[in-house]
Formats: sequence, C-alpha cells, structure tokens
Amino acid sequence: MTSSSNGTTLQIAHVSKKYGSGSTEVTAVHDVSLSVYPGEIVLIMGPSGSGKTTLLSMLGVLLKPTEGEIHLNSTTISALAESQLPDIRLKQFGFIFQDFNLLSALTALENVAIVTELAGTKSGEARRKAASLLTELGLGERLHFLPEKLSGGEKQRVAIARALVNDPSLILADEPTANLDSKIGHEIMRLLRHIAKEQGRSVVIVSHDQRIKDIADRVLWLEDGEFKETVTMAIDPVCGMSVEREKAVSVDWQGQTYYFCAQGCRDEFLNTSK
Amino acid sequence: MIRLAFRNLFQSKTRLVISVGGVALALLLILALDAVFMGVERRITAYIEHSGADIWVSQEDVLNLHMASSSLTDSTARKVKMVSGVDSVTPIHYVANNIVVGDERNLAYIIGIPEAAKFGGPWRIISGRSLPGEGEAIIDGNVAEKSGIRLGDKVKILGEELEVVGLSEETSSLVNSIAFISMKDFEELRGTYDTISFLLVKVEDGESPALVAARIEAQVRDVTAQTRVDFAGQERKVVKDMSTDLITIMNLIGFLIGLAVMALTIYTSTLSRRREYGMLKALGARNANLYQVVLAQALLSVTLGFFFGLAITLFISFLIPMLGTNLTLVVSPLSLIKVGSASLVIAALSAMLPIRQIAGLDPAMVFRGR
Repeated sequence: MTSSSNGTTLQIAHVSKKYGSGSTEVTAVHDVSLSVYPGEIVLIMGPSGSGKTTLLSMLGVLLKPTEGEIHLNSTTISALAESQLPDIRLKQFGFIFQDFNLLSALTALENVAIVTELAGTKSGEARRKAASLLTELGLGERLHFLPEKLSGGEKQRVAIARALVNDPSLILADEPTANLDSKIGHEIMRLLRHIAKEQGRSVVIVSHDQRIKDIADRVLWLEDGEFKETVTMAIDPVCGMSVEREKAVSVDWQGQTYYFCAQGCRDEFLNTSK
Repeated sequence: MIRLAFRNLFQSKTRLVISVGGVALALLLILALDAVFMGVERRITAYIEHSGADIWVSQEDVLNLHMASSSLTDSTARKVKMVSGVDSVTPIHYVANNIVVGDERNLAYIIGIPEAAKFGGPWRIISGRSLPGEGEAIIDGNVAEKSGIRLGDKVKILGEELEVVGLSEETSSLVNSIAFISMKDFEELRGTYDTISFLLVKVEDGESPALVAARIEAQVRDVTAQTRVDFAGQERKVVKDMSTDLITIMNLIGFLIGLAVMALTIYTSTLSRRREYGMLKALGARNANLYQVVLAQALLSVTLGFFFGLAITLFISFLIPMLGTNLTLVVSPLSLIKVGSASLVIAALSAMLPIRQIAGLDPAMVFRGR
C-alpha cells in the first residue's frame, strides 16, 4: 500500500460535479473536500439524491469532476487521460457493490481470478491467488460454485475477495450491507474493518445503514451535494460500543481522551483504572 | 476472457441451441446445395473421366459433351490415327434420347460404341456384360431398379427394342443416365453411317496429351482436340454457367439467415449482460477485453454451427444414395473453405452491433442502475 507525501491515500479538493448547462444545469456535488488516510474507514451517509452516488463515481474515476482535483497516492487521477483510467481502476481501487455484481456464468474462483488476469496476472497464478483469498474469507468449500448457488453473504465475500485481489490501496463500497440480513451484515462490516485496520487499506463506504457507523472512523453527512456534518467515531473501552465523540461522555486519562456511551461506563472505567 | 465467452455461451442452453441450430441450418443450406451441385458435376463428368481417353476430338468449336452436338466425318478417325504420338482412336456416337420401358420414359445419353472397343464403355458393371453387341444395351442399375428391369428384359432405345445385357453403376445423375448400345445399332437407328460424334484418343506411352492434342488440331482440319482434363473442365463450366445464379441466390439466402440468427442471438445475449459488461468496465476492463468476449462468443457459436451443419450434410450425403435416388452429394474442400469463410464473416458482422453497444456503456452505471 502506498500513500501520498501528506500521508493520505485519497484526497479530494473542492470537487464539484454539474450536469447539463444553462437553465437545465444541476449541481450534484458542490465544492467537496475530503482526505482519507491509510487504514481509515470513512462512511458517507445522506438522503437519496444527495449526491452520494455521483461522489462515489468520481472517487472511483468512473466520472470526471467538473471542478476540483482528486489525488490518489500522489497521482492526480482526475487529470488522467481516459485511456489511463482502466489501469488505475484495476490496480488502485477495489469496488464493492450493493447487489454484488458477480458474473453469473463464472464460478466464485473465476469471478475473482478474472480481475487479476485483467491486470496482467497469468491464468494459473491468478487462480492460485483467487483461491487463497477466497479460502481466507471462509469460502474454501465454495470455490467452484456459481453465484446462483451462493448465499447473499457468500456472494458479498466473493465480491470483497474480487475487490482485494489486485492489492488496492482504496476500497470503495456502495451499500455493502443493503441486501444482507443483520447477522451477515455484521460479518461483512467486521470484514471491512479487518481490511482497513489489519491490512492498512482505506475504505470509503456509501450507505444508509446506521449499523456501519459502528466500524467507521468518520461519518460524513452529504446533503444537497455538500458535506453538512462530520462525526468522528470512537469505541467505548468498557462496553465496546461505537460512539460519536461529539455527543459522548468523555474523560481525559493519562494524556489520552476516552469516550463512553454512558456515565455508567465512564464510572466503571475510572473505578477500574484507579 | 475467452473462458468468460465460453461460459456465457453455455450458460443459456436455449439461446445456444437457437444460435448454433440457426447457423447450422443456414450453413447446411449452403453446404448441401454445393454438395448437390458438386455431385451433379461429378456425375456429369463421370463418363469423360472414366472414358479411358487421353484426348477427346470433336467437331471444331464443340467444347463439351452434354447439351452439344458434334459431327465428324468417318475419315477424321484415320487422319487422327496418323498423327504422331497417337496410339489408338475409338470413335463413339452420342445423342440425348430416352430409355423407354412401357409408358415410362427415362432421359438418357445414348452412347454408341464399337463392339470391340477398348475404352469408351461403362467402367463399373453391377451385373452382366460390359460391352453391348447388336440388339443389346447396357443401362444404369438405378434406372433398371426403378423401372423393374432385369438382365434379359427389353427396353426401347432410339425407337428399337433392345435386350439389357449389362447393368452399370455411377452412370446416372439427378436428371438422366447413360445407356450404351453397339455402334452398328446406333448407325442403323439414327442413319449416321458416314459420321461419328467424338473420337477417344489414347496417346503413346511417354507422350504429353496436351502436345498431341495440339498436333491433332494443327494437322487435322475442322476438329477441336482437348485433353481429358480440359474436356471435363469445359463440361463442369457448362454446369456452373447454368447454375451460378441459383447457387448465388441460395448462398446469399443461407448467408443472410445465418447472419440474422447470429446477430440477433449475440445482440440479445450482450443486451442481457449489459450490467455485467458495465461492471467489468468499472473494475478496469478495457473495451478491447470486452470486444474479445463478444467476438469469441460469436466465433464459438458459428464454429459449432459450422461443424453441426457439416455433420448434417455429411449424414445426408451418406443417407441419400441409400434411398435409391440418383442424387449424389459431394462435400468438396472448396465448399468447406467457402462456407468456413462465410462463417467467419457472419461471426465478425454479428459482433459489430454488440461491440458498438459495449463501446457506449458507461461504467458508472454500476452505481446508478439499481
């Protein structure tokens, strides 16, 4: 994993996206800036039509911003020629979609292998790499299953393996838990957290799912194409709950600030720490 | 990407059957028609090819046997015999007429040959004799079977009852057959005592038929001398000239049906996987990668269709002679090359529209198209 000289994986500066012109002009995203660091999970939330999809498309260089710049690991990707973008998408990004988007005719193994083959890996090596990743994600017994034979959670894990197979520095996830039940959704969230914290990848998630707040380091609220509110998340050291720092009960202890879901947890922390 | 094309193709069995079956039937139309005409060509030139002659001598400017009339004087045979390099000369009479059995008339080319002819007679005999004497005839075995004729039965040829003394093979085509009678009977029945139709010339060992033919034309007046190969070539040309328009039209129809079926199935297949192609683009696949998938799918379908069509054609060509018809189907290498090339063109053309569709796909659709 690489990062830019200022330590960020992704940096977007004053990015806007407008559709149409003149009287029909619509601004989908307006003057948005954001920095994402290695190992950080950023959750972008907001109502429908707030510009989340447009922003995600721009972050994944699927859409060019009208104004502003997007930097990925010190490369200004918003300025790259169209012909250079497929390589960037293949090697620098991992995409996870709401409805998994697996190729229905290929097995789980082939769905993952094809992406690394596109990046130039030889077929045998690609299959070995894919098998190893899928096994790591608990799908060792499902390598040769077609997507239609997999459960929702298994499909999403295949999609996550596909997103990771080219060792990208940034994972972009669009509603990764939307089509999953609560238990499987939690599993996927844990997996995303592991990817960020253990592997040092940056993860940007766009979602309506409040549960994802539990694993996010930051939560951004996008409305009318602009970030309206930023919430920084912290983990209660007593009960393990995810809490918003701005609203949580806090205490400074030995030069560090701790955040709690309630007074009770704070008191327990102080009692046990004395 | 080829694996993806293969899997896409075999995932939808119904679509596969429609595309491969449609293309196979369209190519079958072209292959079978070619095979029919090749069979007709082969049967029509069979007598020339098996005559045993190295050179065919005819009346000047008469270049072929069928649908032509050649008349040479008696003395021509002697003059040709004297040309250097000529080993032997066999005169034959030839006319298009009928073999009549009761009310049944079978169109036939009647060949009158000398009783002691070394060549010019039937080359494969199923039963009976291979040379007819006076009052005798040798007819094709298929015609005999169809008309219920056996050895010793009488048939009417050139208005005269003749006894069937031999049954030949490979002497019938879709439209007619060859019957052999003695030269004497032919002359009496037709009144052609002073003329003959063709001369079958055998050259001496080591002589070039082409050079001897040139010598004959130089030394004998009012004749055309062609090697057997050239004479058979002229015969084939007549068949081709007669059938070119029909073959072209049928080939075009076959080609267009194949193209329409393939284009439609490849287009609908691409359309149904539009989202998957968009997703691959979003992940970083280049347009060229996706074109490969579509082209490989089209090529695989057409190749399967081609071999399926060929298998049916070969089966039909094996089956038809067993049904006792005079039709022979011959699948020639040239026809395979032609149909193979047509298949490639079908594959390439049918992939054009889906390729345009893929080129215009916006990869951002993966986030939008819910």
